[in-house]
Amino acid sequence: MEKQDSNRSLSFIDTPTAANAGFLERGRRIKMAAEMGLVESSRGRHWSRALRSRLLRRKGNGACGCKEEGLAPCKVAEDLVGEDGDDEVIEIERRVRALQKLVPGGEDLAMDQLFEETADYIEALQGQVNVMRALAGLLDGLEKEKRLMGG
Amino acid sequence: MEKERFFSTTPPQNWQAGEPRLPPPPEMTSVPAGDCFLNLNWEQAIEQGTHLDSALSSLVSSPSSNPTTVAANDSVVIRELIGRLGSICNSGEISPTSRYHGTNTSCYSTPLNSPPQLNLSMMEGRGGLPVSGNMAMPAAQLSPFAADPGFAERAARSCFGGRSYGGLTSQFGPSETGKLSRVSSSQSLMGSGSQMDISENGKETAMQERAQLEMGMRSKLGGRLSGSSTPDNGEFGSGQEESSASDRITAGGEASLRGNSENNARKRKAPPKGKGKEPPLSSSGTNPPKRSEEVDSSAKRSKPAETNGTDKDAAVKPKAEQNGGASSSGDSGQKQGKENNAKPPEPPKDYIHVRARRGQATDSHSLAERVRREKISERMKLLQDLVPGCNKVTGKAVMLDEIINYVQSLQRQVEFLSMKLAAVNPQLDFNVENLLPKDMHQASGPMPPPPPPPLYPLDASSTAFSYAHQPQGASLQSVVTNGLENQCSLNPLDSSLHRSLSMQLPPLDGFGDATSPVGTFWEDDLQSVVQMGFGQSQENAYSSQGFHVQVQFTQIT
Repeated sequence: MEKQDSNRSLSFIDTPTAANAGFLERGRRIKMAAEMGLVESSRGRHWSRALRSRLLRRKGNGACGCKEEGLAPCKVAEDLVGEDGDDEVIEIERRVRALQKLVPGGEDLAMDQLFEETADYIEALQGQVNVMRALAGLLDGLEKEKRLMGG
Repeated sequence: MEKERFFSTTPPQNWQAGEPRLPPPPEMTSVPAGDCFLNLNWEQAIEQGTHLDSALSSLVSSPSSNPTTVAANDSVVIRELIGRLGSICNSGEISPTSRYHGTNTSCYSTPLNSPPQLNLSMMEGRGGLPVSGNMAMPAAQLSPFAADPGFAERAARSCFGGRSYGGLTSQFGPSETGKLSRVSSSQSLMGSGSQMDISENGKETAMQERAQLEMGMRSKLGGRLSGSSTPDNGEFGSGQEESSASDRITAGGEASLRGNSENNARKRKAPPKGKGKEPPLSSSGTNPPKRSEEVDSSAKRSKPAETNGTDKDAAVKPKAEQNGGASSSGDSGQKQGKENNAKPPEPPKDYIHVRARRGQATDSHSLAERVRREKISERMKLLQDLVPGCNKVTGKAVMLDEIINYVQSLQRQVEFLSMKLAAVNPQLDFNVENLLPKDMHQASGPMPPPPPPPLYPLDASSTAFSYAHQPQGASLQSVVTNGLENQCSLNPLDSSLHRSLSMQLPPLDGFGDATSPVGTFWEDDLQSVVQMGFGQSQENAYSSQGFHVQVQFTQIT
């Protein structure tokens, strides 16, 4: 999955030494908590449930890399056939598939529902990013205060 | 608070969500919360409202588990209305504190005759004011409706159209019946007699509010649920049409509802519209044939829906049959009926009546395709608004590129920020065990409230945790987290960060001695915190730091 890949890529940047390992682990836990926050903020959405099951799976199994998501039917751009030229349809279909991989649970969705879920997912992500940015700023300020106070 | 209880106790079994958002936090009513606390509830309520909307939309769009008959549906609809309105009204009446009572009157002074405004005031009342403020609502707003007891029922009937909320009713009905008695007993309008008995009177008035609430929610959903909201408003005055509308709805609802129960996705009929044109156009003699035709088409539709299980096929065939029926029957009344259905802005009803444009193929396939293309382009426009900088882009492929890039960038931002949070604060950590429920079940039913997790994070050696002892942790949990299993012990964050924050932050270290006065710091609201901090010489440094924290915090937000 994309998230796991980027996680791994981050860990490649900082080869996990004894000092870094705790940091990376904490970062991953924080990320999982952030994703859980995403899930909780938009319950009832298809992507929210898919993300939740993904998180549960990751937490419960750890190393289990069971890939059950390849079973979903992959007819994506059927509706566009006939409207555009073939090349365009292929292009669009490729992008839609990419979007399907990005949005959790997107593989099961057809185009119109996929777009709807994408819109909601984008909104939730925006909210999550804002929250985390504010939190980071707040904690940053607190750290500075602590240092100023002679901590 | 009762607002959250209202949202959380509506049984979500048939919702796609499957879980109530909040377990009712017991401490909330007793905590003398300040503004931040109530804002928290407001935001929660509003976001729950939005999630209610999204859940409603997702639910309306896939009426998977529909009840069998419409007659039962109507009564269940009414009960649902009553229950939900009753909970709103009761929430106001139950909480005794009326600290903000004086400020409520302005919110509820909107004229009652305009349902959208009423709905807005209701939403504001739910959101912007504390629960006690709702007390003003029932007394002020329900009394005029008592004068027209049938008004509410007619409004509800015409608004709902029976079918669009077939899915809804089953969900809310069973749990809300318990609230019905509360509504009847608590309404002050019962004294204002009517031809109905007392319970029905409360039913009507509560139902009308519910109808308006539903209308507002539907309008929020972009008219997806029932595009007939605005025409129905105009129909309120004419009782004759209403009764006939309800008759039509109950009669015609059965046919399409049976078909709908096997239908896929968002094929929704426009019953009030279609039926609204029928009486003037054709006698009742043509109505049964039309309905039987619909029944046949819906029956035929159900089979392909089962075999294919795709939106497209299900969309193609009903339209094929309906359009074929329209062209073959040659009945002018029916054609006009369909024409009138297509003229108003196309409501996402049970079937989408599509009229072939001039010079275009009337083939059922192309019609269905056109409908789907329109839907897709509509969604893409929505996405275009969301993604910044997408307005100048033309063409589907490029726009999809932008959307993909944007989603990727957002995901990367989340990841980066989580790493930054890990770096900025070394004590920040999360107990993953508490984040996710231990059971592997999908969220299919209401989640039982988990046992209170330990407040202390994994790094338990820090002495700072001594002031995060359990009683405060529990209240903080109820205050800060919106019903999640986690506990967040960082009080200043709750006003704005609770929304998607499921984080369980450890108490920040370095605040000096973790004595009990420090512990009480987390309990009080911001103002009293500052005062207390300044009052205690021992905690001066700490509280000024805390004050700085809060000042900073307000600057951030």
